Amino acid sequence: MIFCALILGLAACKNNPSQNENKAQDSGQSVSGMETMYACPMHPEITGKKGDKCSKCGMELTEVKGMTQSASTNNAPTNNQPGGTASIKAIIDGYLILKNALTSDKTQDAAAAGKALEATFKGFDKSVLTAEQKKMYDEVEDDAREHAEHIGSNGGNIEHQREHFALLSKDVYDLVKAFGSSGQPLYQDFCPMYDKKKGAIWLSETKEIANPYYGKKMYTCGKVKEEIK
Amino acid sequence: MKARLKRIALAAAAVFVLIQFIQPARNESGQVMDTDISKTLDIPEGVQVILARSCFDCHSNNTHYPWYSYIQPGSWFMAYHVRNGKEKLNFSEFGAYSKRRQGSKLESIGKQIEGGVMPLPSYLLLHRNAALSPSEKELLINWANDSRDSIATNH
Repeated sequence: MIFCALILGLAACKNNPSQNENKAQDSGQSVSGMETMYACPMHPEITGKKGDKCSKCGMELTEVKGMTQSASTNNAPTNNQPGGTASIKAIIDGYLILKNALTSDKTQDAAAAGKALEATFKGFDKSVLTAEQKKMYDEVEDDAREHAEHIGSNGGNIEHQREHFALLSKDVYDLVKAFGSSGQPLYQDFCPMYDKKKGAIWLSETKEIANPYYGKKMYTCGKVKEEIK
Repeated sequence: MKARLKRIALAAAAVFVLIQFIQPARNESGQVMDTDISKTLDIPEGVQVILARSCFDCHSNNTHYPWYSYIQPGSWFMAYHVRNGKEKLNFSEFGAYSKRRQGSKLESIGKQIEGGVMPLPSYLLLHRNAALSPSEKELLINWANDSRDSIATNH
């Protein structure tokens, strides 16, 4: 019964976009009524639950006043609409293909994936974003697209591809935190050795560690830092 | 045989003279833009001097042209480097990059200098004065890393 309603609901969404927006807002408000938003005092774009720490500076997140705005940003990923979330999914998928190519030390595959990911960033439909989301996306895209491009043009130089992958991973992580992972369960993994022990993160679709920074050399090196649902 | 060699030499000379007329546009805006890196970041005097000498020729809107860059194919060689260099990193437009991208650029600057990738060895063949001494490298790398960290904490 519920399943039927869901299908009907989805069909209605496709036929009537404006109605869809209303529904999305409704669900957004009901959630914001139950939960209090927490954000980093220094980096307002980093949000999370009580007790969480900021991924940029490590400060504890504090309660956010004037909840409705940030709540709507936060809840955007929870509604199952076509459009925005679907495209973020394309970015995540493209990123994971790239990650898996690096994990298996395949530099040419990584280059192809980098090129594809660059195109995905370029083609992302920003019309569904709020002004605040768009600002966030533009900031990330300006950086991430270039990393994808460099990975694409450096087939044969896997170490350089990995340097850019480390920076790209931070970008994609921040995107996922802001827009949600579109239903794709993700793990934020950490390799403490990379870049002269400065360490680097990556996102993975599996709980098992498969290290994209060293590939075969240190396949299982690293640990899960966070589970993103 | 001799006549043939002479003809080839003449043809080569003619080509050399002709290509002198094809001069690529010069990269000399002559002004400091609002987006210039000097208006975005604190750059100590010592670092500024090295950047201007070793980096800005290819990575800014103001190239200082050496004499041979007025003679073809020298100017093509130069124009090629400037075009590629500005595409990857333009210090004159640094302020227009997003903060995130500025951080990435500074990170790459440090890594590329450390790895000896920049300044390009092929470029140094003709531009010996752009080469960096070990202490200059260290100065630039530290500056790039410190600037990156300050962007990350202020943002």
